Amino acid sequence: MSEKRKQEIQRIKELESINLARDEIRDLVIDTKKEVEKDNDLLAAQINDELNKRGIKSIDIVGAIGAGKTAILEKITEKLSKKYRILVICGDITTRVDADRIEKHNAETVQINTGRECALNAYHINQVIKNKDLFDFDLIFVENVGNLICPSDFKLGTDKRITVVSITEGEWVIEKHPMLFKMSDIAVINKIDLLERLGTNIDKMIKDACGFNPDIKVITTSAKTGENIDTLIEALEL
Amino acid sequence: MEKELKKIEKVISNLELNSQAQIQELLKNFLKTHLKKSKIDNFIGDYPTFIEPVYLNVNVKIGDDVLLGPNVYIGKNTEIKNYVEISNSIIFDNALIGENVKLNNCIIGKNTLLNCENINIDNCVLVGNVKTKEDVYRIMYKFK
Repeated sequence: MSEKRKQEIQRIKELESINLARDEIRDLVIDTKKEVEKDNDLLAAQINDELNKRGIKSIDIVGAIGAGKTAILEKITEKLSKKYRILVICGDITTRVDADRIEKHNAETVQINTGRECALNAYHINQVIKNKDLFDFDLIFVENVGNLICPSDFKLGTDKRITVVSITEGEWVIEKHPMLFKMSDIAVINKIDLLERLGTNIDKMIKDACGFNPDIKVITTSAKTGENIDTLIEALEL
Repeated sequence: MEKELKKIEKVISNLELNSQAQIQELLKNFLKTHLKKSKIDNFIGDYPTFIEPVYLNVNVKIGDDVLLGPNVYIGKNTEIKNYVEISNSIIFDNALIGENVKLNNCIIGKNTLLNCENINIDNCVLVGNVKTKEDVYRIMYKFK
């Protein structure tokens, strides 16, 4: 057996032993995960109480990268900023591109750059709201990091959650991401202005969303043309 | 911003027993009035979490899994070790913040080295060079 091959086998044995060691701390890992989720839920409930006490409505928007979360928020803030004082908390790995876009529509913004983290959590939101003068706002939107998976692990303490998908992601996108739709109040299927060209089966998408969560409201929109944005605003029940 | 920082630096270099109210006011005023926009594009290190506004001066080194903000100013050449959390605070130039140190509503003086780990500090001015938690309590100036 060559020296190189012997070294490779030795390395594999080392890796196997590391994995065995990891199995020993499995209980600790599971307990820690449970505690993190429990703490997040408690903090989320506390945030919701605080906002309700002050009469502030709060809505969390999640969805994949490029689904149209920011574009929808631009349309919503444009229409609502005359009536409500709006704060938008934008989550992104880096940059404040989204916050800059939304700020143009008369909403105050706070950008959170999560670095390595794939979703916002209740601690992030708590850090923002406890350092803001909440008397200045009637309505808070939280735009989560573009992701259809991780946000389902973390409640943020908002009144409602909207999950945005677009027809460019394909008609299986809802079927493949049940968790978020189970915990959302509104599902938005965006970019319907492209329907004729793409031929995506929207009926299947609606059926999937309602199948996972019979209480979910499904709204098809085009943030580009503004189609059904009013219907979405009505569904927010502000 | 520079002018206001110099004013704060002068006050914390001559701390007196009755400086509490003045420090509270200076810190609050600086964070509210002079720190409206973030500047986070020039640090050295990994991918921290920033809640704006966070202002990083030049050559700031940031470790792994760090949470900065909201309302944080960090001066030149300062080093932030792993797992640190800082909010509502001013850290002056050439400082060092040790691993898993949590600061809220604090002012850390120029050249201050917090060479210790795992400690939560609120509403304090810290100036000096410390290696243990006990040392931190010794140099701590509580203003609230």
